[in-house]
Amino acid sequence: MAGRTSAIFLVISTLAVTAAVVAADLKKGYYTPAQLGSLRQPSPGALSPDSVYQVSAYPVPVLDLAAGDGRQYVQIHCNTCHSPRYITMQPPLPAADWDSEVNKMIKTYGANIPEEAVRKIIAYLQTHYTPETRKE
Amino acid sequence: MAVKPCLWPYMATAQDPPRANTVEPFTGPEPNSHWNSVGPYFTEPQKAPLLLLTDRPVQLETPRHYFLTPFTPNEAFYVRWHLEGIPNAVDLKEWKLRIEGDVKNPIALSMSDLIQKFKPISIAAVNQCSGNSRSRLRPRVPGGQWGNGAMGNAMWTGVRLGELLDMAAVKTGSLFLQFQGLETGQGPEGFGSHVFLKSLALTNPVLDECIVAYLMNGEPLPMLNGFPVRLVVPGYFATYWTKCLSWIRVLSAPDENFWMKTAYRVPDTPRGNTTPEDVKAGKFKTVPIERLPVRSFLISPDGLSKIPAGMSVTLRGIAFSGFGRVVCVEVSDDGGKNWAAATLGEDHGPYSFRAWEMPWTPKSPGRYSLAVRATDQKNNTQPDEPVWNPGGYLWNRIERQEMVVGNAS
Repeated sequence: MAGRTSAIFLVISTLAVTAAVVAADLKKGYYTPAQLGSLRQPSPGALSPDSVYQVSAYPVPVLDLAAGDGRQYVQIHCNTCHSPRYITMQPPLPAADWDSEVNKMIKTYGANIPEEAVRKIIAYLQTHYTPETRKE
Repeated sequence: MAVKPCLWPYMATAQDPPRANTVEPFTGPEPNSHWNSVGPYFTEPQKAPLLLLTDRPVQLETPRHYFLTPFTPNEAFYVRWHLEGIPNAVDLKEWKLRIEGDVKNPIALSMSDLIQKFKPISIAAVNQCSGNSRSRLRPRVPGGQWGNGAMGNAMWTGVRLGELLDMAAVKTGSLFLQFQGLETGQGPEGFGSHVFLKSLALTNPVLDECIVAYLMNGEPLPMLNGFPVRLVVPGYFATYWTKCLSWIRVLSAPDENFWMKTAYRVPDTPRGNTTPEDVKAGKFKTVPIERLPVRSFLISPDGLSKIPAGMSVTLRGIAFSGFGRVVCVEVSDDGGKNWAAATLGEDHGPYSFRAWEMPWTPKSPGRYSLAVRATDQKNNTQPDEPVWNPGGYLWNRIERQEMVVGNAS
């Protein structure tokens, strides 16, 4: 559990660093790990009367995908463009739909995923996120 | 006199059926039966706790009760981004709105130019996600699993798009306007995962009604709703309402980019309706999604609590259409057999939410199926048939809400 969580943190923080390399007038793509169910108020932040308008990093609550073979490939490859919550938000989808979703990410959105990882990602999603198999 | 604790009228008894105290974490494969999506409450910068669909990119749904008023508060306004490179900070010393491409005078306007050089204009308009209510579809389709809360109404204030185009002097023979905001993705260039681009034809009459808005309900836009400026396309789905609008590009050819050619398209059929079989058989053409079909909602009471028989309550809700003013909202308490007209609230313009209300006194205990339907000035009325298409767009079926009425003594 702890190892898995820190792996997710590592992926997220790596992405945050990558995304931070942007023009000086515009900062974007900053996200920060968070917890769901926390009812603490967000900090109001410090404001100065200059021309920069900013908000804090967008929080990404930790999400544990179903444990199983292939999960690490999902965490690495799918996470480039979106967090794994894009997977758990979906209704349970038939196995064929997961196949076409993953292929859509590659062909339509240009995701660069090695072939072996593609097979493992599809198998993982079909094992844990169909109407027959989805538990959580 | 001491009352025995076991007779306290408000005390739960052991006979109560055990039940979960939260909604299920996901719905399906059957349609989502809840008014909203089922995600947890979550707080993002400048926002009240909203319902979380996704966190990176951010998608948040507005909870039902915020629709009790015809204007949706900025902090509760739903959020939908496509790409993960969402602005966290914008420096208005550097930021410009550029009009370029097929124009005689390319221009770059600062926020102070927009505020000072043009007469501000305001319009109330509903912003609704193309996929609002996608979780109602049978069979379910992939995509953002919105309940009904991917919509909001605001008073938008800014500059007429037409004035900006006049200043830039669009060349004759130009065909399209392409809009680009500040969001970028990790995907490779040339793919929809790299930038988000939308276009409208220069012949489209909606351009006369478009504004570039720097105020939302009289305040700067929240970053997540498109600070510093957002395109407002009254009557059209939100996909055209480019957030953090920074480039308006005049094109002399149709826009072939992914977000126009492949995404946000609907079957060229009545109501955009089709079947999975016809999709497989490639039986229809598709067209870009455009205007909001007429819809109406009961907001309160929300059916989560009982109403005592004989008590008069006020049914309240909202209605809207992208085709013109809502002229009639009707309510049924027998599942749609008999209808009675509701009283409409203040008219804030043809593209705004229109509030409605109606007193209701259920005489006897039981289960009531309340239904609400709206009609707009073009005489479009909400149908009672579902819609299905692979994108999960254009849902506008008559909404129903079960209301449980209990004994009053």
